[in-house]
Amino acid sequence: MPKIDRHSKIVGWLKLALPLTALALLSTLFLLADRIDPTAAIRYAEVDVEALARDPRMSAPTYAGITSDGAAITLTAKAARPASAERTAAAEDVTLRLEMPDGGSTDMTASGAELDTGAGELRLTGGVEIATSSGYRVTTEALTAALDRSGAESQAPVKATGPAVTIDAASFTLHHETGGESEPAYLLVFSGGVKLVYQPGG
Amino acid sequence: QEANVAFGGLTQDTSLPVEITADTLSVNNADGSAVFSGNVLVGQGEMRLSAAEVRVDYATDSRAIERLHATGGVTIASSQDAAEAREAVYTIDSGLVVMTGDVLLTQGQSALTGQKLTLNLKDGTGVIEGGVSTTFLPGKN
Repeated sequence: MPKIDRHSKIVGWLKLALPLTALALLSTLFLLADRIDPTAAIRYAEVDVEALARDPRMSAPTYAGITSDGAAITLTAKAARPASAERTAAAEDVTLRLEMPDGGSTDMTASGAELDTGAGELRLTGGVEIATSSGYRVTTEALTAALDRSGAESQAPVKATGPAVTIDAASFTLHHETGGESEPAYLLVFSGGVKLVYQPGG
Repeated sequence: QEANVAFGGLTQDTSLPVEITADTLSVNNADGSAVFSGNVLVGQGEMRLSAAEVRVDYATDSRAIERLHATGGVTIASSQDAAEAREAVYTIDSGLVVMTGDVLLTQGQSALTGQKLTLNLKDGTGVIEGGVSTTFLPGKN
């Protein structure tokens, strides 16, 4: 056999090596690649469609108006359900903001609310927190706020903190005082036995 | 004329917490002024002040309570003494109580009446003015 020259030897080896590398490259496409599960490709939304269809709701509703004594009232919520046969209109995570003409303001937040349009009232339930511009923060269990005039009345004992004071009372009302000698003002009235503790310098 | 009087010899620490109980409290949302009404009882340390109505005046920066203005018949009592008047103004920081309107101060057996009584709770002294008359029982004290 004539002396095999180097060139043919190289070609001979390449004829073996090149197909093998081609095969390896090809296998990375199928054998080594990580499995793609086509069904999990798109994440479906977990919203319960039947529930949505059954009770229509409005998300992030807002209600704005002016009360009879001139205070701007804005009501926002996370979601609201219109009144139906068996229950009144309700809303979740409600914020009621009252801006008084004299510059003061009051914010009421609650986790649940029922709207009684007949009486023009909003019943806030599930832990209500009221923050007033005069620095008072009042917390109670349930509160009825009027929508046509600026007024609110708590239905449960009240705990409040103000500038350096803490207050406990049986009930609390916010109302617009027109009569009397003083000029019209918005009064926060704690009644039914009030206990206030003031810490000087506190 | 006026007479100096020691009021129970108690030095009242005016930085003690003040506790006020009443039937109702109404707070004006605009300026934050507060009015207690309906058998109001103010307590600080050993001092008790009871009145029909107490108006709370906040300091201008409305962070601290500056004065308690009690009206409608005020009684202040400490460990041994008591003072009655129609009106009283208690300035918390300075510890000054100014009582006006037919003041009656009773100390143990003796009683003093006058028109105006200024008490300094910090050092337990007081000055009674205006038609002072004292009645005391001779003997024991």
